[in-house]
Order: sequence, then structure tokens, then C-alpha cells
Amino acid sequence: MEAKKIGCYICTGCGIGEALNVAALEKVSSKEQKIPVTRTHPFLCGTEGIALIRQDMANEGVNALLIAACSHRVKTDEFQFDTPLLDRVDLRDKVLWVQEVAGDKTAKEDLQMAAADYLRMGSVKLKKMNAPDPFQDDGFSKDVLVVGGGVAGLTAAREVAATGYRAILVEKSGVLGGMVARMHKVSPTTAPYRVLEENPVAGLVAAVEGESRITVHRNATIEKTQGAPGLFDVTINSGGTVTTQRVGSIILTTGYNLYDPAKLDKKLGHGVSADVVTSLEFEEMAKAGKIVRKSDGQPAKRVLFALCAGQRDKNHLEYCSAACCTYSLKHALYLLEQDAEASAYVLFQEMRTPGQMEEFYRRVQEEGGVIIKGDVEKVEKASGGGLNVSITDKLLRGQEGLAVDLLVLATGMISSVDTVDPNNPSPVGQVAEEAAKYVLNLDYRQGRSMPELKWGFPDSHFICFPYETRRTGIYAAGPARRPMGIAESMTDATGAALKAIQVVESVTRGAAVHPRSGDLSYPSFRREGCTQCKRCTEECPFGAINEDDKGNPLFNPTRCRRCGTCMGACPQKIISFANYSVDMIGSMLKEVEVPPADDEKPRILVFACVNDAMPALDMVGQQRGRLSPYIRIIPLRCMGSMNLVWIADAMSSGFDGILLMGCRHGDDYQCHNVRGSALAETRLSKVSETLDRLQLESDRVKMVEVNIMDADQLPKVINDFAAQIASLDPNPYKEF
Amino acid sequence: MAYDLSFARDVYKHSEMGHWIKMCKQCGVCAGSCPFGPHWEYSPRQLFQMVRGGKKEEVLKSHSMWMCTSCYNCIVRCPRGLPITHIVHGLARYASVKGYADPDQVTNRFATRIFWTNIVSTGRVGEAMLTMRLYFVDGLAAGIKQGLEMKDSALGMLMAKRLNPIPFRGKIKGFAGFEAMLAKARELEEKREAGA
Amino acid sequence: MADDQAAGQTILVVGGGISGLTTAVEAAEVGYSVLLVEREPHLGGRVAQHYQYFPKLCSPSCGLEINYQRIKNNPRIRVLTLAEVEDIQGTDGQYTVRIRQHPRFVSDRCTACGECAKACTVEVADPFNFGQGRAKAIRASHPMAFPNHYFMESAYAGSAEAQTLVALCPVGAIDPGMTATVLEEQVGSVVWATGWQPYDAEKIQPYGFGRHANVSTNMRFERLANVFGPTGGRLTRPSDGKEVKRIAFIQCAGSRDHNHLPYCSRVCCLASMKQATYVREQFPDAQVTVYYIDLRAMDRYEGFQKQVEADPGITWIKSKPARIDEDPRSGDPIVIGENTLTGVRYADAYDMVVLATGMEPNSATTARVPAKGVAYDEYGFVVKGGQVLSTGCTATPLDVAGAVQASTAVALKAIQAATRRG
Repeated sequence: MEAKKIGCYICTGCGIGEALNVAALEKVSSKEQKIPVTRTHPFLCGTEGIALIRQDMANEGVNALLIAACSHRVKTDEFQFDTPLLDRVDLRDKVLWVQEVAGDKTAKEDLQMAAADYLRMGSVKLKKMNAPDPFQDDGFSKDVLVVGGGVAGLTAAREVAATGYRAILVEKSGVLGGMVARMHKVSPTTAPYRVLEENPVAGLVAAVEGESRITVHRNATIEKTQGAPGLFDVTINSGGTVTTQRVGSIILTTGYNLYDPAKLDKKLGHGVSADVVTSLEFEEMAKAGKIVRKSDGQPAKRVLFALCAGQRDKNHLEYCSAACCTYSLKHALYLLEQDAEASAYVLFQEMRTPGQMEEFYRRVQEEGGVIIKGDVEKVEKASGGGLNVSITDKLLRGQEGLAVDLLVLATGMISSVDTVDPNNPSPVGQVAEEAAKYVLNLDYRQGRSMPELKWGFPDSHFICFPYETRRTGIYAAGPARRPMGIAESMTDATGAALKAIQVVESVTRGAAVHPRSGDLSYPSFRREGCTQCKRCTEECPFGAINEDDKGNPLFNPTRCRRCGTCMGACPQKIISFANYSVDMIGSMLKEVEVPPADDEKPRILVFACVNDAMPALDMVGQQRGRLSPYIRIIPLRCMGSMNLVWIADAMSSGFDGILLMGCRHGDDYQCHNVRGSALAETRLSKVSETLDRLQLESDRVKMVEVNIMDADQLPKVINDFAAQIASLDPNPYKEF
Repeated sequence: MAYDLSFARDVYKHSEMGHWIKMCKQCGVCAGSCPFGPHWEYSPRQLFQMVRGGKKEEVLKSHSMWMCTSCYNCIVRCPRGLPITHIVHGLARYASVKGYADPDQVTNRFATRIFWTNIVSTGRVGEAMLTMRLYFVDGLAAGIKQGLEMKDSALGMLMAKRLNPIPFRGKIKGFAGFEAMLAKARELEEKREAGA
Repeated sequence: MADDQAAGQTILVVGGGISGLTTAVEAAEVGYSVLLVEREPHLGGRVAQHYQYFPKLCSPSCGLEINYQRIKNNPRIRVLTLAEVEDIQGTDGQYTVRIRQHPRFVSDRCTACGECAKACTVEVADPFNFGQGRAKAIRASHPMAFPNHYFMESAYAGSAEAQTLVALCPVGAIDPGMTATVLEEQVGSVVWATGWQPYDAEKIQPYGFGRHANVSTNMRFERLANVFGPTGGRLTRPSDGKEVKRIAFIQCAGSRDHNHLPYCSRVCCLASMKQATYVREQFPDAQVTVYYIDLRAMDRYEGFQKQVEADPGITWIKSKPARIDEDPRSGDPIVIGENTLTGVRYADAYDMVVLATGMEPNSATTARVPAKGVAYDEYGFVVKGGQVLSTGCTATPLDVAGAVQASTAVALKAIQAATRRG
């Protein structure tokens, strides 16, 4: 590789030239930091400025760029060059815009000191930065494994194949179609939203079976899933024949199990009579062609459909299964289509027919379906067959009795994916119990199951990035991921197919997927320094690191999301990225010039999450908020990458205080790497030992949760901390 | 047993606009919209659910559907487009036909005895006679008392030419056509009530 | 893509809200080129106007920031703002589209330094805040605006003052003489993701929006709660600036109503629950009432409903209110109706009433698809199966997670369509 030649370009536009002594900054770059090419330009992001940089790259051999101008979040199109070695020093947004520009001599001095420090830090960062060498492997596969042959799985396989990739579909039973295969018709999916549609299973099965790019394994289970995206080796037991297949990514479409009706509250009457059935049993009757009283085979004339059976209930399933209202309305329609004179009662708690399904709700009422808001209180066998059901009628406001032939209980969906609560690895009550044991049998250090988000569902970023799980390259879709109906499952499976294809394409390029999409760096590890402490293998939010027999970490670069949590966890400082390392950040903070204690200019180091805290700080600048001139901000990929050694380094370098700005953690975490900020907090709880050893007050180090929209509060948070630090004696290590 | 649909189905079929009762989703906007709402025993929404619930006696003996003043607020606001005013009038008529309506219920009395006889005899409403008959229906003393209470309103209406003090005599032009219309309406109604 | 030559195809994504953004980045990260066209000056669409998302009560900017990073880092995505697609001709694999690029009057040279806005004396009712509060005639829509370039109101561009800004701009980015241009592009497939607009609350006559000062809407309320909104995040009412301590949310204001939007807009129940938390957090002594027909917190959102229901400061009344009057002295809106679970009629006064207005698809009004063979349902949502793919709230009312899900799926359909030769 050719030698690194750094060019430093200081923009003097946007007021930088007027506010700062640029000549002095040039000196910092050229003399102090010995950067071979240092230039200034009055409008660096303009055509001429960019041309200047390009000329130096072409003529001077400059191949690493230090751009001292504005925030790294702006002018990204302009400052895009043919080199991965680039760092942005933010003189404008984080110095000029947050400090006193037209202040007195002291203010001017502070301004200049901040600018010089940021330039020093950027310069060291660039010196320590190497071009990432993307991870490559000869054995990458782009095939997609689809687990579960229901509607979602069939759709996923079909869509993968329709995009030109090969799919392997594994179904544990002997037939394809899953739950939906047992159903009669499906609720409307398109205008005019009134007509029941044909069951899609037959068409999907035909499409899958007729597609040469899809291999189907029936009666098959997965005995083991080893490896990583692009390199998964999956052991499939297909009716006794065991094979191992290399695949690039995995779609989990194992669907749902129904909540066991035997566990329902007694008052719902399950077991009282054969005439108390579940929605699925009713569906099967409709498919068989005749809706009858189970007890005596007489045609059913009066049917009560009770919604939310064991759902939205802290003693059973706490969530709503989303599809049952529409599903039960469809059942009412089956009954009325069989016999227009029949009585179909839909007993609801909240009628949930979102979007255009409101029209379907209307249709069912039009056909004579009767809605009742209330609850089943008691179910008894009636003397002449059928049932007497007592209900609380919330609209008629009283107890009512209904004589019906059938009571149909809408029981809820439980994800059939085995999950573990990563914070509490013991099984999660009924949910884990109901799930099939080990769908994928992951050969991961962190367990065989998928990490759970909530209630046994395996995703991780519920709102903005719903496909993300904590197992890279494995995407859940359909009701395995979240309760949903048939049409939505098909859409969901299509989305998962995209993600599955996207990950194999990214892996082939050596690039990361969400949230650091396209990042070509990945962690490397200096084996001889490892003490087998296992922190990295335990803490990686994505389970990317396995262990060998001796407890050494085994990195799986294609599982890695490049958050740096392993790097932050490692007490031996042996994990690093080509362009991000413990040494790099440590060197940066050491490069800050700490004035002697007598100057009464404390120094406060701020570690800020690049995803949320940094944009928030940019907004403080835009609003021209005022921040203490004593702070020096270093962005981190994620708080999870915060290594405690930096705290010790900063303290021994004379910083008076350290403020860490991470994302909200806990149940409603906002950390894009799920656990980064939580882990940083845990690590920090041990920092007092370090501070004690240095005989420093523990409140010199503080971690705060910063939301991206906290720009209004940040000045107070930072300035209060600065004031608190100023009230302490200066860090005694300044003198060393 | 509740929710026996035989009553509801009879109403759907034989009560004017009764089939719309199926479509109510129990939002309650009708009840809140009704200027007479506080005086109803059951709001339209409640009546509709009672019809579906098979509460025949309670519905048909109720005075509620006689309370409607045809302001149409409920129709305008009903999110399901139910013609509530017409449904309610239909239920009143249905109760009458089925022999449940209390003949002394004030609206019933006014509509069937006073208003109807007034209008069919001439083809138009004679305000003076209508008012007199209404006020004196409970006897002379009550009539005088009510008349005095309302005299300011009456004067106002006179001034605004909304009340003609001279009783209308004779018949409207085209009275035969009017009678033919009534006959046709009666025929249609009988047909519906018979369930054709 | 299995065969590399197909990856040369470009996917046109129309609409830069959460659905369009998702479609664009997901397709581009597979390896396709994407042209993302947005008619507003900045990306982010409706979600950018929200203060928080349910159920995590977190800022939409957090996820948007990641998506913007993905765009910045991905040379395959080209973004056009202030642009509208006027015509689409062709078939899958070979479309010719005509795009009108409206003048921004500020070039890419803009560094968002803010000098022009400081000098600008003309203000307009701020559309980003739904007309609540004023904004400079040259500005960025909001602090998180991306692309980070200012724009000028076209009505202002003709003014003498606008000319004076030309010389004032330190980087020479301002050009009030800019005119519209028309581009023609060849693309392989088209995804329509033009989103929704809040239903016009003035059409719901009995609720008095537009007549009663303190009757507001859910989207307006989002802006009030936002720290960068017209009140700096303080929840105060329009008539007199009084703190909103007694507040009512009225669900299905326009939705599930054949006089307005016959369908359910899906998110409004959850949005009101979320907004109830804004009030309760800001004023711990506040009393919130929610009037609803059915509470629709589907799937795992049920947990959020339970969480909000546990707050004793929030009352739930199953009722579609009949009308809203105004107390002429206090300006308090009075909500009138019948509680359907008790049969009791109420007339309750509040400091403010928020109408949970629904979603009207822009494809029904200002963003019809300019292509042949596109079918709409009776509400104006684009029906699947036509020439042009659609996603997000162009197809059905969706929450953010649902829109992202649908848009990830449509990205794949767009890849398939682009590589199909018609």
C-alpha cells in the first residue's frame, strides 16, 4: 500500500476566517502536526475548493484528507473523494456556532484553543486511520434459506426466486401451506373490500413447486445453523436424510401457534361442550363445507363469535393478535353465506378493522351479522343441544343470555420462533413453552434461540427498522415476527426477501448492513493479548463472536454490524478496526492541549454517540446555543464502543471531567445497536474504581441519555456539568 | 333469551327504513345530536341495539321513538349514513300497527288524532284549528292555561305570518290528486307491512 | 441481482417520506440506482413533522438520521427535492418519466449559515407548522432538514428584498431568477409513495374547527409539542396562551365516517394515546379525556394502550361526540354527546380539544399518478396490480412500522419490475 500523505484543508468561509487566527491553525497543522500539505480556502465546499483538493490528490499525492470546515453531517456530497481516509474537523458548527465569537480576549483565546484542539484531534485520527480492507471469502453463497412453508414462507421463496436468487424452503410437515392451508377463504385484500377471496395457498404452492430456483424440503427440520451471513452452513434433516447446505441468509417464516384453549379462563367454556370451538376449528368446518353443531352434527343456526379469547389479558397473551376481528367477521360471513337466516353474533371488546377493512365490517353487518360489545361470563350445555351463554352486554348494559349452537373462541397467535430474553435467559413463561423447540438451532455463543424483543417476538427495532433482528442475516417475517393477518404476512415476507437478498449482496461486497450500511471495516483481533475474559463474546449485541474451546473469541465478520461494542468491552485493548481503535481515540484525547491549572481553563471531554448526540449537538449550533468553551467532543460509533481505558487516559491527561452522551436504554431503547448505551452505563458503574485509584472524585465522570431532539436541553446539560466540574479542584494530573 | 333475531328481522322487513338498523355501529353520535335527547328513555342508538337484542316489549312500549322532532341532526352526522329520523318514525308507526303504542302518548295523540284529521280533511294544515285542538285536548281549563302561556309565541308567529288566524275552509286545489297520493302511500305501506 | 447487467437499472421513487426513503435506501443497498423525487424542499415527509413516535415515545429524527446517513453514504441514490413527476410512459424495465424541478432560488452552494434568513424581513404562515406561527420567506423547513440547503418562497423571489439577499449570501448561493426546469429520465420501475395529508377538519362542521379557536387537530398538536414548533414545545392553547390542562381528544374525526373518510385511518387512536402522554408529562396535574368508538391498538401496540390506560389522569369515554360548542366568555370548547357505556349525556368543557383527524391519501388529490392503467379505490388509494407500484399510505393507512414493512417489500417488487423487460 502506498504511503499515507495527508492534506489538511482549512475552510475560512462561514465566518471561520474572521473569527479564528487561521495562520495559527495552519501552523498547528503543518508545524506541530507535520502535515505535509496544508492549505486554506475561502469556500472549500464550492467548486474551486473541491478542485483544489482534487488537484492535490492528483498532483501532490495527497491520499488522506483532513477537512477542517463544518460538521461531518453536512456537505457530504461535496466532500466525497476517492479515498476512504477522510476526517472532518468541525470548526463551524461545534466551535464558532456554540462559542462567543465576538467576545473579549479570553473568549477569543478559548475559541482559538478549541479550534486548534479539534484540528489536532482530527490530525491524529487521520494518522491512526487505515483504509479498511473489506472481508472476503471464497465460499460466499447468495442462496436464501426459508424456514417454514406457510403463506409467508411460500411468498418469501417465490419472491427470492422471482428476483433471480435460489431459495431453499424447509417445511417441518409433509405439506406446504401452513395454517392458511386449513382455511376456507380469506378476507378481502383489495377494492371494494367486501368480497371474500380465494385461499392463496394453492396458487403459491403451484408457483413454488413450478420454480426451478426453489428446492423444497418437506418433513424437514434444521438440526444446526452454523456460520454467518454469506457463510451459513445449515444442517437439514429431511425425512431422515441429513444434508448440510451453504446459504447466504435466512428468512424465518415459521408462523404462529395458537394459544392453547385449555388454558383459557373457565368462564369461556372451553371443554364444557364440543360446541365450544376455536376460530381455526370453525374455519376447518367451513372449509369442509358444512358448519354444524359439533355435538350432534345438526346445522348451526346461531353462532356466537367471541373475540379476544385469552388476549389483551395479562393472565394470558398481553397483546392483540391484530387479525382476529377481521377473521371473525369473515366467519360470521361464512355462516350467513351458508344460511341467510342464521344468526351470527360477533362479541367484541374493541372492534379492530383498520384501514379499508372498515368496509368489510359494514358488509358483514349488511348481511345481518350482529355486533355486541361485551364479555362471555358463563357457558352451559343447553338441554336440547347447543349452549346457553351468559354475557355482559356493555351496550344494553346488563347480563344477557344467548342460546347458540356454537361458541367460537378467537384465540391468539404466539410466535413459533424460539426466543430468549437476552437479559433473562430463562424461558419466558408460556410463550417459550408454546414455541417449537429450536427452529434454527443456532450455533452461537449467545444461545441457540433468537433474542427476544417482547412477548416472544424476535425482532429488535420495532418502529423504524422492523426487519432488524439481533442475528444478522436472519430475518423473521409474518406472524413469527409480529401478530398479523394473511395479506400483511405476504407483504412482510416480500420485505424479508429483500433484506435476505440485500445482506448477501452486502456481504459479497464486504459491506455492513444496517445501521452502518456500507461500512467496509470490521474488527480485527490480536490473539496473543487475549485473556479469555469473554466480555466481547458476551456483550456483542448481535452475537457475532463465538468462542473456541479455550475461550478465545472467534470473529464472524459478516455477522458484525461494526458498532465496536467488542472494542469497548475489551480490557486488553486488542480489538480494533482499521479506521477505529482504542489507540486512535486514546491518542486523540491525549492530543488536546490541557492548560495548566493556574489558567483556570478546565477541560471536559465529551464522548458523543454519532447517531443521536452528534446531530443534537449540530442543532445546538444551528440554533446558536452557547456551550462551555472548555468541552472537547469526540464522536463514538456507539457508546458500546466506549473503552474504560479512555476514562483513565483522559484523567491522567489532565481532563477535569468526562461527559458521555448515549442513547436511551431500557425497554424503549433507542440505541441503534440495541445494547450499546446500556453496556456503556454498566461499564461506567465500575469506573469509580479507576477514579479511586487515581484519587479523583467519581462525579467527574457522568453519563447522560441524549435524544436527537434534545438540542434545547443540551446547553444546560453540558454547561451545568461544566459548572460542576469548575467547582471541583483542578485535576491534579494536569501538572504531570 | 336475548338476541333472538325474529323481532329484529320483522323490523328490518316491515318497519320503514328498518333494515338500516343492522348497520348501526353504536357510536352514539345520534344521541348526542338530538335536541330532545335528555327526554328520551332510549337514544336511537340504544333502540337499535335493543331491536337487535330482541327487546321487543321494551322497544315497542317505549315512548322514545315518539320524541323525534325531525330536526335531521342525527341523519346528517351518522357516520354510517343511517336515515335515523325515518327509522325512528318507522318504529313509531310499527309500534302503532302492532298495537303497542299508547294512544295517549302525546306525540301519538297529536299525530294520529289532531294533525292527521286536520290535514286529510282539507289537504292542508289549518294552523288555528290545529293549535286549538292541541291545546284543548286535555280539557277546557288546561287549554286556556296553555293558550295563555303560549300567547307571546302565538303573537310572534302571527306577526311573522307563520300562523293564519282564520281557519282554512274548503279544500286545496287538486284535492283529488292529494287523496290519490294518500291512497297510493297507504297501499305501499300496507304492502311493506304485509311483507311483500 | 444474479445477473449484473440488470443492476444498471434505475428505480424511480416518488415521495421522500418514510415510505419513499425506505424504498430508496433498501433498493439502493441491494445495489440498484435510485432516483428519489420529493415535492417539498426537504425529505422526511409527515414523520418529520411528528414530535414523537408511539409506542416508544422517541423522536422520528433518530430513525430519519440513520436513513439520511444511508443516503449520504450511498452514491447510488440521487435525490431531487422540490420536484414533481408529471408524466410516466412505458412499461416495466423501460419507463420514460418527465420531472418538473421547481426553482429553489438557492443553489447547492448554500452552507445553511443562516445569514439570508437573518436579513429577510418577510414572514409567511409556517406550512411546516400547519400555519401555526410564522417563518421567514427564505429558510430551511426545520433544524433537521435534509438536504441541508435553504429554499425561498416563490412569492418572495420576485421581491426587491430577495434581490438584496443575492449580494448578502457569502457563498453566492441565492438566485431569485431561478426558473423551473423539466427533466426526462429513463427508469426501470416506478414506486409511488406520495403519502397522505391530514383530513381537512373544517369539513367536520359540528366540531367547529376553524370557528372555535381552541379546537385543534392531532397534526397541529404534534407541532405544538415539538421544541422547534411554534410554541417551543409548550402545550398552550391558541386563543389566550393558557396552559392546556383539561384536554379532550376526539377519535374518528373524519375517519370511519361515510360523510368524510369511510375507512379507518389506523394510527389515530395510538396517536392520541401518545399525545395524551405529552400532556401528562408536561403538566402532571392535567386531566385528559379520550372520546372513542373503538380503541384500535393492534398487535403489540396493545401494550402501549395498557401503559397509557394505567394513567389515572386519563379518562376514556366510548362515544362519538355529536358536536362542540364554545363558551363565549372563556373560549372553552364544550364537547357534547352520549356516553354509550352509561347512556349518560355529557357537555364537558375543556381548555382545548384535539380532533384526531385521519389520513387522506395524496394520490386522491394533489398527487394522482400521471400514468395510464393506474386504478384507485373509491377513497383514492392506489390499488395493487396496476402499472405503477405503490407503497405506504398511498395504498392504505399505515403506521410507521407498517409503512417501512410495505416499503421494504415494494423495493423488491421494484427491483423485479426494473429487471423485467416489458
